[in-house]
Amino acid sequence: MKEEFLLGNGAMALGLLEAGCQIMTSYPGTPSSEILPEVTRFAKAENLNTSIEWSVNEKVAFDNAFAAAVAGKRAACCMKMVGLNVAADSFMSAAYIGNIGGLVIISCDDPGPHSSQTEQDSRMMARFGKVPVLDPGNPEEAREMIKTAFDISEEFQVPVMVRPAIRVCHARQNIKYGSLKSNLTEADFKKEPTRWASTPKFRFLQHKALNEKHVKISEKFNLLTPYNTHNLGNEKTYDLGVVAGGVPAFVIKDLFEEYARNDIPILKLSAPYPFPEKLANEFMNRCKKVIVIEETDTVIEYMLRDKHKTLGRLTGHVPMEGELVPEKIEAVLNKAMKDCNMEPLSADTIVQEAFELVQTLELPIRKPTLCPGCPHRASFYSIRKAMPKAIYTSDIGCYTLGINLGAVDTVLDMGAGITMASGFWNAYIQDDVKKPIVATMGDSTFFHSGTTGLMNAVYNDSRFVLVILDNYITAMTGMQPAITQDRRVDGRKGNLIELETIVKGCGVKYLKVVDPFDTKTMIKTVKDAAEYAYSDDGSIAVIIARHACVIGFKDQAIPESIPVKVTDDCNECGYCHTRFECPGLYQDKENEKTEINQTLCAQCGVCLDICPQGAIVRVQGEKI
Amino acid sequence: MKTVNYVLGGLGGQGILFMTKIFATTALNKGYNILGAETHGMAQRGGSVVSHLRIGDTKSSLIRAGSADFLISMDESEAYRYLPYLKKGGKLFANALVDAFPDKRVAAFLEKMQIESRAMEASKTAMELGSPKSTNLAMIAFYSAFGQGPLSADDLRATVDTISPGSFKEKNLKIFDTCYGVGKKMI
Ligand code: SF4
Ligand code: SF4
Repeated sequence: MKEEFLLGNGAMALGLLEAGCQIMTSYPGTPSSEILPEVTRFAKAENLNTSIEWSVNEKVAFDNAFAAAVAGKRAACCMKMVGLNVAADSFMSAAYIGNIGGLVIISCDDPGPHSSQTEQDSRMMARFGKVPVLDPGNPEEAREMIKTAFDISEEFQVPVMVRPAIRVCHARQNIKYGSLKSNLTEADFKKEPTRWASTPKFRFLQHKALNEKHVKISEKFNLLTPYNTHNLGNEKTYDLGVVAGGVPAFVIKDLFEEYARNDIPILKLSAPYPFPEKLANEFMNRCKKVIVIEETDTVIEYMLRDKHKTLGRLTGHVPMEGELVPEKIEAVLNKAMKDCNMEPLSADTIVQEAFELVQTLELPIRKPTLCPGCPHRASFYSIRKAMPKAIYTSDIGCYTLGINLGAVDTVLDMGAGITMASGFWNAYIQDDVKKPIVATMGDSTFFHSGTTGLMNAVYNDSRFVLVILDNYITAMTGMQPAITQDRRVDGRKGNLIELETIVKGCGVKYLKVVDPFDTKTMIKTVKDAAEYAYSDDGSIAVIIARHACVIGFKDQAIPESIPVKVTDDCNECGYCHTRFECPGLYQDKENEKTEINQTLCAQCGVCLDICPQGAIVRVQGEKI
Repeated sequence: MKTVNYVLGGLGGQGILFMTKIFATTALNKGYNILGAETHGMAQRGGSVVSHLRIGDTKSSLIRAGSADFLISMDESEAYRYLPYLKKGGKLFANALVDAFPDKRVAAFLEKMQIESRAMEASKTAMELGSPKSTNLAMIAFYSAFGQGPLSADDLRATVDTISPGSFKEKNLKIFDTCYGVGKKMI
């Protein structure tokens, strides 16, 4: 037996391999990103034959895993919840068609949100797509649930979703495990066009069969302990019961233990769909009121049909947005208990007082920023300098933080940097206005969702400057290699694809490549590109701003350290702080002087060119 | 054992994950169960980082505000930010100027909550010992001097000894011993 203090994503990786998952695909996105690297690590250590790939986007990942499961293998694909939106087209049909080998989709939610655009609840997607869903509450439970998910998926020939929230993915727990074995099931696709390529007539029949499966799965879920269970005691009726699943279920259990409260029963529904109606009714019949506490939406609450008994989001007891952190759950329970004339868990207001005290301290606001030495900062600086009046459409990734430099105006979803640029162009040109627009997008995002928008823009003659920020990597989510790198995640060789080839293949006529660290050249390149794009016989202009990520490839990004200092020529205009905002440059609180923070400064030297006074200079030879 | 809750606070780049690892490995070696919660992704680019660590048989990873036994912070402002997590009678350890800590506005609250606070200039000490990035180790050692909680100074030191790679071992243990000494003198 080995034991490790594993990230929840590591525990799930272990669960996948213990379940004999043979094919694993994913596209990175917080909080899901570490699952695949952990699968890779375990598979390597245990010498397994698992096939692992970072796919170009979530839909690609999904289809890959789906086909493997249709061929009889156990397959999984992992993504963050908004990634499932990208795979939704496939996901919606998958349950109808079904699979042979087990197919598990891990869709990681981000209540908060901490690192996402929405707080959407993947369990809603599961219901929408008629896919059974399991909702783990901590790493150990997630690991075990994945095995259950595979079993159910194979027994009923439907995909099964596991929906861990961020507090599962990024929790850590000590986990014991034994040795792992490869699953040697061979691919064996059995042709059956009426099933695998079914026409609408057969889809109707498949839908009917799926509904019948759901009745059976719901029966199974009535008895699926310890995921679905209650702890009703001998009382005939209870004034209040709690219905919860996933992370909140464990928080509540811990809370009741801490406060030694056993007068309130809990119905745990961590396999909420297809809804275990019988189990729920058993519980409801013995409680006068129930409070539903679930993340992040109202899935269980809507399925509990007795509205008069049910408290939750719809009655204003549970916040409609934000993560249900333990102190919030305590407050929710206290309110529900009071409403039921019960003694609350605590009457102390000291925590509230403490939070108010912290408010009055005016602590430094630590907003996310691009790293010191980040090439994106240099790109955004030059873009804004070259086209100060433009609309800046941007996208999802580290470079969303270009917002701090005033060079990001819009962020919608993966790919919208380009498509929204087209949209703005169309809206303005209708009024005969040639609106300057600069779209920015990272390399990985471009491969994920950029090409369709670019082809559309070329064909329909939208005019704007597109800057592809190529740093060779998917940085925000933890440095996954882009397809421009020849090394795949498991060390095998990849047939790398050149960004230029794809851009040209989309029909782009004007393409320039520039190193953003050279801000002078970059500013000129952007100006030239704009001139071309807005000239009568111009077209969309694309610039690849290419420089390695300073975190992912430190030596390549900064081949020569350039130490810098601020001289007495500095007149404290503040330009470098507001327009460039490198964490390496700061204003000393006491003497109000602009200085270099030598611990943070990456010695990239980019700031040498930006000070209007020329006060930032290279340190020559002398000690700093 | 009753669950013991540690909130660790600091800034990005101060090595909070390594700090968590030292505590967790020590607890693991002692046979305790542990559950923790970390910061990743966009939130990590934010500067303020926090790690929750629960030693004992708990099932949920987040520490509820008002229930932490210990708050150990590698930065003064971050110590204040996470103050609401401490329970009545909890203990606060911060990397701050001994004479100026805690802030006057906070002192009354600490008294009311019977929270004992201890400060040392951990970054400065680490810098002086030639490891500016070892504020994390300095704070662990400082905390351990007060002999509170289920993990003893010897246990923690042993973990630092085994975890530190060869070239860092001597330096790390020196920081540990020095900062342990700083704490000892305050008792
Ligand atoms: S270094 Fe230059 S840009 Fe920055 S505040 Fe001083 S004068 Fe302004
Ligand atoms: S050299 Fe200038 S731009 Fe580069 S990291 Fe240091 S302060 Fe920032």
